[in-house]
Amino acid sequence: MKIVIVGAGEVGFHIASHLARENKDVVVIDQDAAAIRRLSENIDVQVIQASGSSPAALMEAGIKSAELMLAVTNSDETNLVACLVSDMLSPNTKKLARIRAADFDEFHETFKIKAPRIETVINPEIEVVKTIVQMMSVPGAVDVGEFADGRVKLIGVRLEKHEKAIGIPLSELSARVKQKAPLISAIIREDKLVIPRGNDKLLAGDLVYFMSEDRNLTDYLSFFDKHSEPVKRVLIIGGGRIGYRLARLLEDQPVYTKIIEKNSERCKVIADKLNKAVILHGDGSDQMLLSEENIHEMDMVVALTGEEETNILSSLLVKQMGAKKTITMISRFSYFPLMERIGLDQIVSPRLSAINSILQHIRRGKVLSARSIKGEEAEVLEAMAMETSDIVDKPLNVIGMPKGSLVTGIIRDDQFIIPSGSSIIKPGDRIIIFAVKQAIPKIEKILAVKLEFF
Amino acid sequence: MRWRYILSVIGILTAVLGLTMILPLLVGVLYRDSSVKPFLYAMAITVSSGLILYFFCRRAKAEIISQREGMAIVAIGWTVIGLFGALPFYLEGGEFRFFVDALFESVSGFTTTGSSILTNVEGISKGSLFWRSLIQWLGGMGIIVLSVAILPFLGVGGMQLYKAEVPSPIPDKLRPRIRDTAMVLWKVYALISLGQVILLMAGGMGPFDSLCHTFTTMPTGGFSTKNASVAHFNSAYFDGVMIVFMVLAGINFSLHYQFMKGNTLAFWKDSECRFFLGIVVGLMAIVSFDLHGKVYSSVGSAFRYGSFQVVSILTTTGYATADYEQWPAMSQLILLLCMFLGASAGSTGGGMKCLRVMLCFKFCYKELFSLIHPHAVMHVKIGGRSVPEDVMRSVMGFLALYVGLFALSSVLLAGMGVDFITSFSAVAATIGNIGPGFGMVGPVENFAAIPFWGKWLLIWCMLLGRLEIYTIIILMVPEFWRK
Repeated sequence: MKIVIVGAGEVGFHIASHLARENKDVVVIDQDAAAIRRLSENIDVQVIQASGSSPAALMEAGIKSAELMLAVTNSDETNLVACLVSDMLSPNTKKLARIRAADFDEFHETFKIKAPRIETVINPEIEVVKTIVQMMSVPGAVDVGEFADGRVKLIGVRLEKHEKAIGIPLSELSARVKQKAPLISAIIREDKLVIPRGNDKLLAGDLVYFMSEDRNLTDYLSFFDKHSEPVKRVLIIGGGRIGYRLARLLEDQPVYTKIIEKNSERCKVIADKLNKAVILHGDGSDQMLLSEENIHEMDMVVALTGEEETNILSSLLVKQMGAKKTITMISRFSYFPLMERIGLDQIVSPRLSAINSILQHIRRGKVLSARSIKGEEAEVLEAMAMETSDIVDKPLNVIGMPKGSLVTGIIRDDQFIIPSGSSIIKPGDRIIIFAVKQAIPKIEKILAVKLEFF
Repeated sequence: MRWRYILSVIGILTAVLGLTMILPLLVGVLYRDSSVKPFLYAMAITVSSGLILYFFCRRAKAEIISQREGMAIVAIGWTVIGLFGALPFYLEGGEFRFFVDALFESVSGFTTTGSSILTNVEGISKGSLFWRSLIQWLGGMGIIVLSVAILPFLGVGGMQLYKAEVPSPIPDKLRPRIRDTAMVLWKVYALISLGQVILLMAGGMGPFDSLCHTFTTMPTGGFSTKNASVAHFNSAYFDGVMIVFMVLAGINFSLHYQFMKGNTLAFWKDSECRFFLGIVVGLMAIVSFDLHGKVYSSVGSAFRYGSFQVVSILTTTGYATADYEQWPAMSQLILLLCMFLGASAGSTGGGMKCLRVMLCFKFCYKELFSLIHPHAVMHVKIGGRSVPEDVMRSVMGFLALYVGLFALSSVLLAGMGVDFITSFSAVAATIGNIGPGFGMVGPVENFAAIPFWGKWLLIWCMLLGRLEIYTIIILMVPEFWRK
């Protein structure tokens, strides 16, 4: 499968490295020599230094034989033109574009049908707001993802000291704690991903992932001593585009929202557009202002300014002042490993959100949705079990799943089944699989319909 | 630097090399000669050493190799391969009774130099003759490129290895994945080689000689199975076929790939290729004109011998159909200068490479131009594209190092008691991977008479030339070893 990526920025780089690892043929076009060099020195992809919207460059990249074109440069205009040119050169190539400006919001559907015919428009701002709302819906969790159209959630919780589940082998969890335990899909321990077996034990500091339906969620969360009182009071630091989008979304919910914004002109603009939210003009790291606004009463503080350092410091400050939860937006990936250590667990990143939703679209077909967790160590895939694939009509313990992967859920009709070794997947089931990055190509093979090879 | 990992990769490379010894072994069995036992032992030692090294270090896994590690693997790997490649020669004995001689022959093979210490080439066994040719063929496209193509585990790290083994001022990736790129290059290489074998056999050359000569033409190596080199066959047809294939081998292989994919103008559109072909044709004409009347009475012979020698030296092959030391001074000097120029970047040829020389000339012109127009903004361009500043710097650095190391080595060799023209040309011929030089190491002589330490020096020069200076010389910079 050949994929052309226009733009070698953070998003382009990470998607390219994802795909190259899976032995796909990736060609990346970018104008910036330094970005191109970073790519060609670290990843096994072909690079072309040229403007991404140039027809000659796209031809050189072999757009005609490409199945997919991703336009992810920093400029909306370049992305649009790149899609337009690809559409002229090779109408059969599927196109995905990152488009950020809110002006285009209403036109995402139009783009699909008319001229550039962009299969999916990805707006990282919309994606990141979606991620924030998902996180707010499960305040005890560090990471939240949705599968099967939102019916099943992927939850990641951080284990703290003195929790009852610590030190017990997974296979004995339910019996020893005397409470129904979720099936643990994955553990992230000291930045390394572990797909656990029955005799593995949970340790303090682990980030534990499990799948759950909405109705079991409260039980499961209380198993890990996490409580999910709904978020009632939210403070948003930074009234930029993302902060504004979030506030507008929260207006329809029973949530009391405050926004702190530094720029007085911007305050006027958003005050004009929002009806319920309280707009405060001031600095998000101003202690006086924060205590004046009862920061310790806040259920959730979301730091969304354009400067990630400000976001990090503001989050630390409000936490110390008594805010219950924080969500911090950062964009530089190299800061990710730091976050856990300084106690900021809930992080969002427009780029990571964009990568996630692009991955979903790349995998589409056999795979219904996909999501990477914690950096890029692993992916959670939701797939349709096809009639002639290797995975159906055999008990799971016989199939021999690739090392580093685990089937963590089966959705049959309206039922969500937590599988055991003897469970059998039937054709038409939707299955949710956890897999470390090395196992993904093998998983794709298992899911594939055998007839496709003939 | 993760040494365990580096050693495990070198272990694998050694094992792969050991497996290729099965081919000369088969030749030995076929001709029932004395080479069977040496090859059997050499193969056993090489394969087992490789596997032992691998198994001791295999736990070290790495997904990404740094540029530094890539260079270390390639430089040390080539040295180790040279050492193991010398084993069959050493075990056979005869003219190879000293290990340094066997090593010289082996490194001269792998680096596609073609300098030999053999006085009587026809005196060694068929198996060893075949091995001499085969290692040139393997070394031409690169044994590490071969490993990247066939061993999936090198994966991402393969790129650093590829860049260290096939250094090119302007890197060219033919396919999105490095493994496919390596595979494509080897396929193109094998396909053109097949063409040459067929043409040589069609002219009546025996299968063994056809194969051996193809294996040394395509990598621009220059080992022959005959004492008199290609002159032995004394056939205008063979000379013609070899001229064509030497020129093909001197052209960037990505152009061959593009041509085979249907881009018929690929050669013409590439400015380096035009430059290279222009020089080939120009020098052929000048040398033939110079020879006519002075050495050869007929225009035909002057053209035949003149152009063969020009192509043979320019592409750094090093075959001989005539003793060019008897030629007029101008022709000799042209051949000597051709040793420095070399073939195209991305070809199997050695030397400084046309592309670098071209860039250097263009850079000089740019300097002159900006003296005349001090405010002019001007870029050095190749094929209509500006050459980035850092590429230009690396090219200038390369040329300076090449000339500097050449000067240093030739003075050292002269210091060992070798005469002026021999030291000068022996170093030029080895650092440029050509083969024969002038004087004591001329086309009808060999390198046997070079003193012991001189041979070590020339072995080092050959590796320097094949890996294009940086990869080898970097190991000699103390900063490289600092933690």
